[in-house]
Amino acid sequence: MQFAIGLLMILVLACSVGSLITQKQPYAVYADQYGERLAGAIMALQLDDMFHSWWFVVLSAFLCLNLLLCNLIRLPSILNMMKKEADPVSSVGKTGSVELSGIKDPDGFFKAMGFGNVKSGESEVNEEKRSWKYSVKNRIGLWGAWVCHLGVLLLILGFGLGQATKEEFTVYGLPGDSQPVGETGVILTIDSFDIGLREDDTVEQYTAGITVRRPSDGAEESAEISVNNPASIFGMKFYQNSTGWAADIHIKKNGEALQDEVIYAGEYVAVSDMPNLVIYLNAFYPDYVLKEGKGPMSASSTVKNPAYLYSVYYQGQMLGMNALMESEELTIDEYTVTFDNPRNFTLIQVKRDRFTFLALIGGLVVLAGLIFAFYTQEAKIWALKEADGTWTVHGMSRKGGVLFAEQFREAAEKFK
Amino acid sequence: MNYLGIENVLFAVIMVLYFLAMGAYFVFVAAKKENMAKVAMLLQGAGFVLHTVALILRGIGAGRLPLTNQYEFATSFAWGLCLVSLVFVVRYRFHVLGAFAAPVIFLIIGYAAMQSKEVHDLMPALQSNWLGFHVSSAIIAYGGFGVSFVLGIIFLMRERMKDQGFLDRHVPSKEKLDLIGYRSVALGLLFLTLCILTGAIWAERAWGSYWSWDPKETWSLVTWLIYAVYLHLRIRRGWNGRAAAIFAVIGFIAVLFTYIGVNTFLPGVHSYK
Repeated sequence: MQFAIGLLMILVLACSVGSLITQKQPYAVYADQYGERLAGAIMALQLDDMFHSWWFVVLSAFLCLNLLLCNLIRLPSILNMMKKEADPVSSVGKTGSVELSGIKDPDGFFKAMGFGNVKSGESEVNEEKRSWKYSVKNRIGLWGAWVCHLGVLLLILGFGLGQATKEEFTVYGLPGDSQPVGETGVILTIDSFDIGLREDDTVEQYTAGITVRRPSDGAEESAEISVNNPASIFGMKFYQNSTGWAADIHIKKNGEALQDEVIYAGEYVAVSDMPNLVIYLNAFYPDYVLKEGKGPMSASSTVKNPAYLYSVYYQGQMLGMNALMESEELTIDEYTVTFDNPRNFTLIQVKRDRFTFLALIGGLVVLAGLIFAFYTQEAKIWALKEADGTWTVHGMSRKGGVLFAEQFREAAEKFK
Repeated sequence: MNYLGIENVLFAVIMVLYFLAMGAYFVFVAAKKENMAKVAMLLQGAGFVLHTVALILRGIGAGRLPLTNQYEFATSFAWGLCLVSLVFVVRYRFHVLGAFAAPVIFLIIGYAAMQSKEVHDLMPALQSNWLGFHVSSAIIAYGGFGVSFVLGIIFLMRERMKDQGFLDRHVPSKEKLDLIGYRSVALGLLFLTLCILTGAIWAERAWGSYWSWDPKETWSLVTWLIYAVYLHLRIRRGWNGRAAAIFAVIGFIAVLFTYIGVNTFLPGVHSYK
């Protein structure tokens, strides 16, 4: 028990620290934020990616081991208690944690206390033959903590195995594009992509139509995916994850068409006959405005006044950066560059996690365990017949304490 | 009908009722005017009924569950705490609990009053049936933890209270306080587990990952672990009610940090980008 409590406290501390330190940042960010000495400590202790650090994994493994051992050790005693509580004779000779004499209607009392399935009989109690009545309820409550521990164990196992074996890919493109999905052997085609806008220009939904093809056996499935509505195809899940802007870029050399390509915001295109000359599309503004002190921004998400923020690099050195309107040309010596046809691309996340079901089962088992532990508290009451014909009632509740005793006395008083 | 306008008026009335209830409870405890306890409970009960109506009207006016922004969650949090505290007051005939819960409810509703009441359409990630289950369970969980916090404070104050007559009439024994506190933690922990579980299922559908160590997720786990420690310590030999009461107070501080602190200091990825 002490070990488990200590472990839980360390996990509380570790999780708190992990949430306070921004995760997965380079050393320079920590050095800037906390100073070089602390940044060094963060990197050395792997606090920059704490939840995947070796020591956090070890802590989790210890927790699993502790849960497993705890359940193994407690199993025989719970089985024993279940057996014992089912046997009235082992209880009726004892004194309960609460008792009251002079009860005239024990059956009414049992009913008022919510105890059904009342057993009755005669046994030797203190060397005297006595009639007794006995009932026990919520014996399943004995399993509460055990089931809860099992659930946590399954949950951690499901999560850990899922993290270790999951496959995750992202595919982005415009309608009509087809791309292989990592090493999975399937090809994803984006059939359509639509951004539903409300009147106030806010996004209602992002919806993509996709077709997934498996060339190995020619199988093919189509689906429509949107945020909160992924599709399951060939054992993988396809999520509408994100979006961005793409446009056509046209490069001419001495007035002659040289290159027509699609360029995505945040990506670059190298000039085909001069690969050292690179056009980078920093951002796209569908409704461009330039506000003083705020720089370039978009007044709405509808394409009304498109502008392309670009940078030009030659041999890795930036030559310049500016915003280009759709009707304008960028001239670099004999080359002219124009952008047009802006449209949204979709980013689709593809994932396969074979152990999600185990984590889900674990979560449901934890919930069941808590319900057993908190709301089916095991309790028993029994009554012994006295020589004057009245009954003495006894009660025992493992977790009810004074509240059970109070309820017991209140109910018993009515049947005196 | 202007549902949101009516809700706005009701909100002001609710604040007044909760304030009056708090005042009546104060007179009950400070001046030991026993009949004020019933007046306070009636005021709080009336406030709760109107609060329920206000939430329903906001739901109708917004065309969705009123659980999606800071104002809506804060007012629902106060509603949940009011509900759980009223249930515990009636169930255990324990007016002093109401007296200590009233200022907490008033503080939370006051926090809600400082938030923007504007109704916005939901972003795509929030358009999920799981949202209702997830946030509703959080409200009940926070209500349960709020009551355990109040009980912890009462437990700690009970040791210093001098008027034995008032104490015996209105404040349960330490053993009983400890047990009621345990029951409120049990309610809170059960619903927090449900909250985390439904949140994970929703996150899996919306973001493709049921657990990503987002600060909000992490702090929900921290809160869960703190109450797990509370439960384990409670069954240890030598563990007494005083330590349990202190732990219930610490646990609720974690709850408040998860709710307000994380949103303020540790912005996460609870948004569609």
